[in-house]
Amino acid sequence: MRLKHSLFTRRQFLNGLLGGWLGVLAGLFLYPVLKFIFPPEREPEQVLLPLADYGSLEAGAIKNFAWGRKPGMLKKTAGGELIAFVSVCTHLDCNVAYLPDKKKFFCACHEGWYDENGVNIGGPPPKPLRRLAVTTEGENLVIKPEGAA
Amino acid sequence: MNIKGAVRATWAWLDDRLGVRTVTDFLKHKPIPRNRHTPWMYTGSLVLVFFGIQVLTGIMLAFYYRPTLEEANKSIGEIMTKVPLGWIIRSVHSWSATFMIAIVFIHLLGIWVLKSYRKPREMTWMSGVLLLVFTLAFGFTGYLLPWDALSLAATKVGTDIPRSIPLIGAWGTRFLRGGEDISGDTLSRFFSFHVSVLPLCLLAALALHVYLIQKLGMSLPVGADEEAEARRAIPFWPNFVYREAIVWLVFAGVLVTIAVFLPPTLGKAADLMAPAPEGIKPEWYFLFLFQTLKVFPAKILFITGDTVAVLLILLAAALFFFLPLLDNKPAGRKGKIITILAFLLVVYAVAMSIWSLQTPSKPEADKIVPAPQNIKESTAIYVFLGGIWLSVAVLTYLLRLKIKETDRLLHVGYFSSDRR
Ligand code: HEM
Ligand code: FES
Repeated sequence: MRLKHSLFTRRQFLNGLLGGWLGVLAGLFLYPVLKFIFPPEREPEQVLLPLADYGSLEAGAIKNFAWGRKPGMLKKTAGGELIAFVSVCTHLDCNVAYLPDKKKFFCACHEGWYDENGVNIGGPPPKPLRRLAVTTEGENLVIKPEGAA
Repeated sequence: MNIKGAVRATWAWLDDRLGVRTVTDFLKHKPIPRNRHTPWMYTGSLVLVFFGIQVLTGIMLAFYYRPTLEEANKSIGEIMTKVPLGWIIRSVHSWSATFMIAIVFIHLLGIWVLKSYRKPREMTWMSGVLLLVFTLAFGFTGYLLPWDALSLAATKVGTDIPRSIPLIGAWGTRFLRGGEDISGDTLSRFFSFHVSVLPLCLLAALALHVYLIQKLGMSLPVGADEEAEARRAIPFWPNFVYREAIVWLVFAGVLVTIAVFLPPTLGKAADLMAPAPEGIKPEWYFLFLFQTLKVFPAKILFITGDTVAVLLILLAAALFFFLPLLDNKPAGRKGKIITILAFLLVVYAVAMSIWSLQTPSKPEADKIVPAPQNIKESTAIYVFLGGIWLSVAVLTYLLRLKIKETDRLLHVGYFSSDRR
């Protein structure tokens, strides 16, 4: 049945409504499912490292710490400055090692190399290691994402 | 009523309700072509045999395996050292995975060079590619479960690969990992994929695949003389099944023997913070992809090298999936270029794999190396292996007699009496 000026029949209208409503319902179910499957990101806002343990690094030496679930490395440069990296390869996410005798970071997964400042110099890594900001506050070193004040 | 009558009556009762005879009749009439390409046709059912073994041994392993950060590595260690014969069950699961994947590769290769995917069998090919994908996914998810340094590094790289895909990739990585990084949640998730999601997916694709094979029948080689082929063909049941059974038996024997003598080892529990171990490699079936990622330069023009590599790999996979639509020539054309392409692909994969093996991997110092627990057990294993091979030999001999017998019956037209 079709009214005089109608664009579609009663049956099309009804089927469309039924199908559309089923789609909405499916979406309603899908939303919480997706929410459940993708948990929220968890990056630490900051990590505190006691100066007593980490302040006494020798120039050129490295000390590991945990940046959330990722490994981090604290390094004292030849100039005596403290710098920090997320020691995770920028290629495909493997944890890198620091080789003190070569003064380089090495990723064993696809043989990626970074120099002592974390700049990519060989192999597949496309970017330097991610740097973290280091400041001192009282008894602690404070490690924060770069750019976060 | 005597026993024979009772059996017959029960059978008739069941057949009335289930329609068993429709199926058996169908199989008795399903012709299997007999020509120099017939050996390829053993590969499909062989994959099925190995999948069956995976299901059985997988369920057994899941009785003792515990998928948590603290317990995963420990529980596999216990399977290998404490659970009676656990090391053999794990070894069979691990080796049968290798066999299954290898034979899926060979199966698809055979269909490719024979062009059996051409009309009307396009969707049979596509469901076959899905089966390959699910099988590889089984291997990938299973590899993490032992939770040692190697499996962690392989999973880190593997789950980071989607991230290189623009726009949607990061979601893929988070979906696989259950977060930004690998954690205990990744392990639970992979276990759930491995033992419930993938079996369901694989069975669904398998159902479609097998249905299509029955519906469309076996393909004939390019340019075959149909009448001559029809005269030479043998019925699936019983003539062909007896032949296949020999292949199954021999492979089952080989599998168990290798599993006993070359069981997989187990490294120390993975440390999420430790650097990746030197000389890491994925399982053999991912080596060529691994090496491809390794040799791609960091930057190509403005784009990151691995984005290019991953997009190229995805494109290749899509072309592979849609092969029947690209090569949609009539079934009679030879398709030499397509054959050469298959050949080049194999050469590429083999060459890249060999190349990637040039980097020596450092053997790990303290890992669990499985072995029989005592003299009694190792003696029993030799007796068991002897029994298996004796049975394989005897059964092969008997099956050959049955093949001769059924072929003679076929020849004199004994089976054609019930031909419709
Ligand atoms: C329903 C079927 C299956 C179940 C219930 C199952 C279960 C399991 C379990 C519990 C483990 C952990 C034990 C261990 O790592 O030794 C495992 C490992 C593994 N599975 Fe499966 N599995 C199934 C099918 C498959 C299939 C079809 C494949 C491959 C084609 C496969 C490949 C693997 C691999 C490669 C490992 C790691 C082996 C090792 O290093 O020990 N699985 N599976
Ligand atoms: S993950 Fe570091 S080089 Fe590939």
